[in-house]
Amino acid sequence: MAHQGMDTALFERRLRPIYDNLEVGNNRKALQESEKLLRKHPSMLCARALKGLALLRLGRYEESHGCLQAVAEEKPTDDSTLQVLSFCYREMEQLNKIVELYQHAVKKNPGNEELLAHLFISYVRVEDYKAQQAVALQLYKAQPKNAYYFWSVISVVFQGIRGPESAVPEKRKIYLCLAQRMVEKHIREGKLESEQEAFLYLHILKLQKKFQEAWEFLTGELCAKLYPGAPVSMKFELLKVLGNWRELNELLQQLLDADRDRWDYYKEYIQSCFEILELPIAEGESEEKKFSLAACQEFLQGIIDTSERKRRGPYLARLELHQRMRAHQLPAEQLIGNFDELVVEYFTLFADKSCCTHDIALFLPSISMKQRQALANKLLLQSGVSSTSLPMNKEQMQKHICALQISRMCGAHIDLPIDHLLAFYTVLKLHYEHGRSTFGNKLLSTEMGPSDPYALLAANVMYDISLRENKSDYLFEALCLLQYVLRNSTSNFHVKLLSLKIYHMFGCLVGAQEMYDYLDIKQIQLDSMGYVHCQLLPLCGRFSGARNCYDATLKFFTNSYKERLEYIALTYRFCTFSKMEEFLNFKERLTNSLQYVTCSLEAQICDLVSCYGNVHQNLSAYSAMSIEPAEDRIAWHELSDNRDLDAIIRWDPLHQVDAAGECKDSFDQEIEVLQLRSLMLRLFATFIDLYHPPPSPKQSLNGDSKEETPAPESATSTLELLRDSWTGLYQRLRLMNYKPLPQQFLVNLLPTRLHLLLELPYERFFDDLAQLVLDLHSGAASLAAHCKQVGDNVIAIMELCVQTIADSNDWNGKDGLWKRRQQQQKVAASLEMLSLYAFLLSVLNDKLQVSSKTKTNKKKQADNKTQDTPQPVSDKERSQMVQELMRQLKHKLESCDAAIRSWKAPVLPRDLSSFMADMSLKPEVEATLIGDVSATFKDSHELMVTELRNLLKDKIRMVAK
Amino acid sequence: MTTLRPFTFDDLFKFNNVNLDPLTETYGMSFYTQYLAKWPEYFQLAESPSGQIMGYIMGKVEGRQHNWHGHVTALTVSPDYRRLGLAALLMKFLEDVSEKKRAYFVDLFVRKSNQVAINMYTNLGYIIYRTILDYYAGDEDEDALDMRKALSRDTKKKSIIPYTQPVRMEDLHEADMQ
Repeated sequence: MAHQGMDTALFERRLRPIYDNLEVGNNRKALQESEKLLRKHPSMLCARALKGLALLRLGRYEESHGCLQAVAEEKPTDDSTLQVLSFCYREMEQLNKIVELYQHAVKKNPGNEELLAHLFISYVRVEDYKAQQAVALQLYKAQPKNAYYFWSVISVVFQGIRGPESAVPEKRKIYLCLAQRMVEKHIREGKLESEQEAFLYLHILKLQKKFQEAWEFLTGELCAKLYPGAPVSMKFELLKVLGNWRELNELLQQLLDADRDRWDYYKEYIQSCFEILELPIAEGESEEKKFSLAACQEFLQGIIDTSERKRRGPYLARLELHQRMRAHQLPAEQLIGNFDELVVEYFTLFADKSCCTHDIALFLPSISMKQRQALANKLLLQSGVSSTSLPMNKEQMQKHICALQISRMCGAHIDLPIDHLLAFYTVLKLHYEHGRSTFGNKLLSTEMGPSDPYALLAANVMYDISLRENKSDYLFEALCLLQYVLRNSTSNFHVKLLSLKIYHMFGCLVGAQEMYDYLDIKQIQLDSMGYVHCQLLPLCGRFSGARNCYDATLKFFTNSYKERLEYIALTYRFCTFSKMEEFLNFKERLTNSLQYVTCSLEAQICDLVSCYGNVHQNLSAYSAMSIEPAEDRIAWHELSDNRDLDAIIRWDPLHQVDAAGECKDSFDQEIEVLQLRSLMLRLFATFIDLYHPPPSPKQSLNGDSKEETPAPESATSTLELLRDSWTGLYQRLRLMNYKPLPQQFLVNLLPTRLHLLLELPYERFFDDLAQLVLDLHSGAASLAAHCKQVGDNVIAIMELCVQTIADSNDWNGKDGLWKRRQQQQKVAASLEMLSLYAFLLSVLNDKLQVSSKTKTNKKKQADNKTQDTPQPVSDKERSQMVQELMRQLKHKLESCDAAIRSWKAPVLPRDLSSFMADMSLKPEVEATLIGDVSATFKDSHELMVTELRNLLKDKIRMVAK
Repeated sequence: MTTLRPFTFDDLFKFNNVNLDPLTETYGMSFYTQYLAKWPEYFQLAESPSGQIMGYIMGKVEGRQHNWHGHVTALTVSPDYRRLGLAALLMKFLEDVSEKKRAYFVDLFVRKSNQVAINMYTNLGYIIYRTILDYYAGDEDEDALDMRKALSRDTKKKSIIPYTQPVRMEDLHEADMQ
């Protein structure tokens, strides 16, 4: 070892300052310290590795790479050096290098447990199960610990079910058989020790469909001893696949006797009853004593009759039995009674709990529309609150709320005439206010107001009216109501989510951001809830505002991405075999999250749109993005939909809601949008790369590809290829004829950007730009014509921007909010195209100016070679053409700026005083409330205008040379 | 009416109707992964018949010898499913797991101001074992109550003889590490 002879403690003391500085992020100082130490001890490997790390952190990739490579070549074996190197390679995602590192170290120290364990984990990171198996066995030989033995077992299992050979059924069989034998050998030797080992054995048997063996093990002595906490659901699963319905039925009866509120038990119990019906008569069972569903009904009734405390379980189970019998055309009513009466009974007993709505909703799809509405009326009647009375107590109010929610689900409101709906809204509002002042006055800040659901329902009703009338007035009023509710019950996230949605619909980004911040969405929620805000921000009207939100989201994703493999390593460390597959799948799900990919891409586009430095600064920022257009880095078929669409509560008519369809359609469209955006960025990158070939450190850093800078011909061909994909994609998307997402209800997802991107001149603009870039590069004779073409496109885009703003100002007279979001999107999209174009022109200009000054001689030589082709346009002329385009763009940008300057803040729907008179809320609250909401809209507009004008100012400067 | 089942990774994407409530903390990934990897049987979820997450409990088992005990790290119930005895059901589950692991007792920390929770735990048989000064950091630090319930292995109920004096955080760790 390099530091042999040196005292270890001394060695560590010397290194300490470097570690400390790295820890606190003082990388420059860490570098100095390491260099200082290396002057004294030039061969000290760990210090050299740390120097490599400091360089890496400072972004000096090439030097870092050289430094680390040199250390790795010395094949270190000491733990600290290996740790530092592994750390660096993990940062750089060069996981194979870690494997190599430990391979060498193990070779030098065969049988070293610690090094072998590291080698094992390094194989875990690259998911090389075969190698994992081999190393685990070596480990077991070195140190006969159960953990190592089972590491090798699970590695065999994974070869059978996840590895490259898992698709071949015979191979799968062989691996699983082997894994089984390995465990059984251990069992015979009496070495099985832990519950996770027992779990793994059961799992291996189940994977091979050896259910009887699994059952015997599960119910045997050894399992009882090692795995006393085996979930009882394992028993159900096995009894079900074994077809032992009678045994299952008995087991569940016992379990239900002891635990009377378990839905999982009831569900299985009822299923077992239906299965037994199908079975032939059991031995010793006479025809008369044949099992019938009456036994099931009696059992449930028995639980109801003997329970002191009323629990939902048996009642819901009875409804479930009723529903299933009807589905099987069996006489449910005869056996159990009238369905409506059962529901009413359930309602009477449990409607004072807010979950009652979810419970009853489960059974609504099984009855006709007519019956649903009749039932809803019965429940309303049952609640005891009529159109002229108010709830007497909190419980009665909750019943009323439940009945109203069910009514909406049954479609009772949706077809009412508008004046009825408005009256209904007023009633809801009054109920809210009454409930708040009567039953909600001693609310803790963490509690939701008991009457809040009235207001939520009211907001949904107001959306229905707005949609029918195509006017924002009612919805705006709903927004004010929601904001009022939020003041009273600050923890109600449903109110925040609906407000957030409405703010977005109205293009009010400041309001939306406020609600989003208020929701305190963080960590994994940034992925699952990103759709309520972050996903809506691209092209919404602000660039830098949106960028901040992407940043917060990306921070979570990049951190989790870095840590993803260490999580899996953790399951090996703790031998949690029951969770390993879950961990592996989770890793995939997070890495391939659509939200993650979209957000990274939009952040890049946003950065290019908003770059404001001089051309060299912009280019180096561009290079740092390492876009590499030739390479499509998105795993399109793996993209994962991690949205939690159910987080937003709804009571919309069940027959009109297709949640699964909406989820699929929106996801499909989002993927198409991602295709468009990704291709746009890559195509645009080829424009830049043609004139500004990327430097190659990123490639040499990867180590594996030692390609030279791509030749201009290959850059041209990439450009042409992507251009064909671009027009091809548009062609396909037009043929696909996607329908905009239906906007029927308030909680439906807003339309994706797909139709916006198809409607606006993106396709043509970038297609023509591609031609221009190619012509400029070759000096083709058609250059002038294509300059004109692009110039015309720019005019069209400018006009689109100006016209949209004029329309928006016109609309302000009728309705300032209803179309606001779309208008802002159009303006943002126009500016996006023009901004990218401005950046491109600045790069072209920079390059052509240089080459027209210096390359005249070379050009002549080249000309001689191509005598028979027409004379290319000279560099000087090209440069002049680009400058002409810049002049034109500058002029058009100024026109856009003038239009934006004249853009009026949205006029809010109605005269505020009449609106206030409508609200039967406290006057002093109203005044500040409406004032605040209005101010939010005004601020939002002003902020957007300021941001867009700053953007334009930067672009004008960019092309003003 | 509940289905109890182990908490899975996929649930992390679906627990928003519980976690958006301000009383429930959403932790960093490493926190969840650590619990799922180390004590998977202690991370249990209650699901409604409609498939919604009603609540969940997160816990662990640790300590040496007579201090070997189950610990409740987080217990949360969605606002829609409160007042149904769900917290009791989840606590019972955790106690059962701890029994099977031969733990001596179960403990948990609760904010001194959270009277609703303290009453609930008291009803479930927990006693206030000791007060820990300034345990919860914040604008204003808050004391925690360390509440305990003895399990069957602790036949002499030694684990629940309460302290007479509050303790500081620094003393706490020393005592617990034994």
